[in-house]
Amino acid sequence: MIEALLGFVAIFALALLRMPLAFSMGLVGIVGIGLTRGWDPALASTAQVVYETGFAYTLSVIPLFILMGNFVARAGLAQELFQAAYAFVGHVRGGLAHATIAACAGFGAICGSSIATAATMSKVAYPPMKKLGYSDSLSTGVIAAGGTLGIMIPPSTIMVIYGIITETNIGKLFAAGVIPGLLTALLMMGAVWYLTSKDPEHAPAGERTSWPDRWKALRNIWGVSLLVVVVLGGIYGGLFTATEGAGFGAAGAFLFAWARRRLTWRILFQVLVESARTTAMLFMLLIAATIFANYINFTSMPGDLKEWITHMGLSPLMIIAAMMFIYVVLGTVMEELTMVLLTIPLFFPIVTALGFDPVWFGVLIVMIVQIGLISPPVGMNMFVMNSLLPGVGLQSIFRGCWPFVLVMIFVLGLLIAFPQLSLWLPSLMK
Amino acid sequence: MKKLLETVCGLLAGTALFAIMALTFFDVGGRKLLDHSIPGSLELTELLMVVVIFAAMPLVSLRGEHVVFDSLDSYLPTAVRRAQIALVHLLCAAALLALGYLMWQTGGQFAINGDTTAQLQIAKSPFIYGMGILCGLTGLVHLGLIVAPAPELAEGEGVAL
Repeated sequence: MIEALLGFVAIFALALLRMPLAFSMGLVGIVGIGLTRGWDPALASTAQVVYETGFAYTLSVIPLFILMGNFVARAGLAQELFQAAYAFVGHVRGGLAHATIAACAGFGAICGSSIATAATMSKVAYPPMKKLGYSDSLSTGVIAAGGTLGIMIPPSTIMVIYGIITETNIGKLFAAGVIPGLLTALLMMGAVWYLTSKDPEHAPAGERTSWPDRWKALRNIWGVSLLVVVVLGGIYGGLFTATEGAGFGAAGAFLFAWARRRLTWRILFQVLVESARTTAMLFMLLIAATIFANYINFTSMPGDLKEWITHMGLSPLMIIAAMMFIYVVLGTVMEELTMVLLTIPLFFPIVTALGFDPVWFGVLIVMIVQIGLISPPVGMNMFVMNSLLPGVGLQSIFRGCWPFVLVMIFVLGLLIAFPQLSLWLPSLMK
Repeated sequence: MKKLLETVCGLLAGTALFAIMALTFFDVGGRKLLDHSIPGSLELTELLMVVVIFAAMPLVSLRGEHVVFDSLDSYLPTAVRRAQIALVHLLCAAALLALGYLMWQTGGQFAINGDTTAQLQIAKSPFIYGMGILCGLTGLVHLGLIVAPAPELAEGEGVAL
């Protein structure tokens, strides 16, 4: 137990010294195994982890979903999504804000990144909101919060990472995110409705779109719909594995971007290299996390923790609630990927020992990441809005995000109280 | 030098990634629609994955896109920060050079055993040597970063979430 705790302390210390997380975890893992088991096994197991993680077919799901998201972001599909959403809800008070959330949810179904969703939507949705006199805090808050739907509504990079490090079925995780994602979108719209009722001048209604025009707007998003149906439908229906679906999706998104003349050789190269870099960065983290997890599994910690939990006699739900509280607090100041990778080796064995479903816990983790991405003072989505919209101060963005943080904490509570919200859809899968 | 590295590694990683995409697309499409898959596509994907990951590694370091806990930066005096960054790069370089050496040796073992992929009988050792070389190269990049630090990233650049 002591060795394992020392390992965690060492990683935190190195990370605080600004050592990249991958290096901190990897070094501590290797040194830990070296000191407790001997250096030969440490080096041999390191080489094996590097080799096996590199040569892993199933892990190609990561670059392929990242590539799909990056192609989709370049294909300009976001504009049509936004227009289609606006055609249906634009005439109500705060219509543009509602349309933004709906479009984010749609975009989330083809993109697995919260940052990419928020960044893409800010180009499409912010200018019209500004023009109609929406306050900066409402418009940026809606985009930043809507962007986080990108990781709950499948595909989702963080779900893939969680699935890989905990060996949970990625297809089931994807299915589990659908209802929570849609529920979050709906409740966010509720929050917009409430916020705009207090300040109607800043969120005027748009003109009502006629039904023929609505159908026309819907027809324009056939590309997105086709990708969603083929990729996610294929995965849920058991036609594809997640990896195969990702390959199909990436190729489909590439063809769309190409057919819409959004791709020059230069942009294609940029998209490919950008996706490869993100992949390499994630794989270094995965390799390091695996080495560190190997070390932890050598120690007595997993057993000790289980024993300790049973001795304490706390109710399992209390333990989950305590974990979630820790996560929400940590998420305000920590980068979310770091937080998840550091805590999963500690929390996941407890969760499974208590008899909870790993798929359900995965959905809670994604919700936690969503909350962390827009909770001040450290939230990546807000920083991205800030750098893309230099005219808007960070303070206004913070103010705009708070209501949505509360909405998401409420959803987190619902997800804990009603596991069926996450687990019903995956239970239908073969 | 930097430009050359970016171009060569970028082309390697980018082409390999595009190839994985095309391979998966045609393999799955062929299998589901025409009942005819591409032989050895699984193995090819695995080999290409190695190229994607390890060729892109120097680029990640070059641009400083690693996940770093940098919330303390604004509290530290510039001189301390500079020393800290140099120290961190030195440590990373040492770790990567050692890993490069380890993988090179592993590649040697694979070469002696003559390990190949199951279906297409492609020798694995060149790819493992490649892992070693690119790890070492990434180590050198970190050494270079001590002299010429990476430019500040735009917010959200290189973030995976």
